[in-house]
Amino acid sequence: MTEKTFKQEKVGCYLLETKKAKPFEPGTKPELKPEWDKDLCVRCALCYLYCPDAAISRQEDGYFAADDELCKGCGICHRECWFGAISMVKEG
Amino acid sequence: MDKFSLYAGQLLSFREQFAPKGHRACQGCGVALAVRHVYKALEERVKDFEKAQWQIPWQHTVLAPSGKSTTEPALLSIAKDAQAGGTLYICFDNECVEGKIDKDALIKKQPAIAVANSFSYVATACPSHPFDLIEKVRRGWETAGQCFIHILCPCPVGWEYPFESTVRLGRMAVESRLFPLYEISGGFYHITVDEPNPRPVSDYIKQQKRFSHWKAPQIAALQDEISAVFSQLEEKATIAK
Repeated sequence: MTEKTFKQEKVGCYLLETKKAKPFEPGTKPELKPEWDKDLCVRCALCYLYCPDAAISRQEDGYFAADDELCKGCGICHRECWFGAISMVKEG
Repeated sequence: MDKFSLYAGQLLSFREQFAPKGHRACQGCGVALAVRHVYKALEERVKDFEKAQWQIPWQHTVLAPSGKSTTEPALLSIAKDAQAGGTLYICFDNECVEGKIDKDALIKKQPAIAVANSFSYVATACPSHPFDLIEKVRRGWETAGQCFIHILCPCPVGWEYPFESTVRLGRMAVESRLFPLYEISGGFYHITVDEPNPRPVSDYIKQQKRFSHWKAPQIAALQDEISAVFSQLEEKATIAK
């Protein structure tokens, strides 16, 4: 596979042709990670909607979990959960 | 709460089209959240969206409505199908103004400029109201002609607030009527999210350190201008009815 790179073709930063960005994994690990309490969770999918990193995905049983590699630990899901089902836990 | 088994969030598809392998935005980035919602809105409509990873052409421009104040948003322009025609312009506004921020930068004039340029669909949206945003992007995609959507994206680094408050601050901007959510379709105004008892704007101002130099008279002046601008908007919306 040949690697495509950005090339400015016209003055004014117009990209005439769309090019694919390279996949990127955030290298730094956050301090806090979200953890779900299944007794309180009602599966309303608000945490899924409000995650800016697209780290939260739905599991087979309908509950939600965060991807360790993509999560940056911003805590939006913890703040926005109506039922207090998400707590931010220190890793390790 | 066990009585309810179906929630609106579950009606969306759980396939992830936006940056499936990570992106370089900061923690709690409002722009990344808004872009993700735009992807969610269009994923069934745009062809070859599966392979896309920031594949849509975009520009980073400075929009200067009054000459005095500028906002520096990313402007995403999506060329529509030949069937519908025109272009959908989406402005991701994170209010990162160089230098001092004043009240002219907070009250948006870009939608009014788009209306004056006879765009067929103009709307404002915020990622704190995701269904409203998704609905507006879809409507903009389906309407023929030039369409403009202005999205307010809270920025934790530029506005200096804790990362987890991104969605909360967007909601505060809407609830205080600083950034009312409305749409203009074919010249008719419609306020989509209305708050009968608006929150005082000082709640929104005091959350952010970028307003640390603001004093009480400035906040009062902003509050007066908000109510003046919103009453104009309400007047236009009632004419449509």
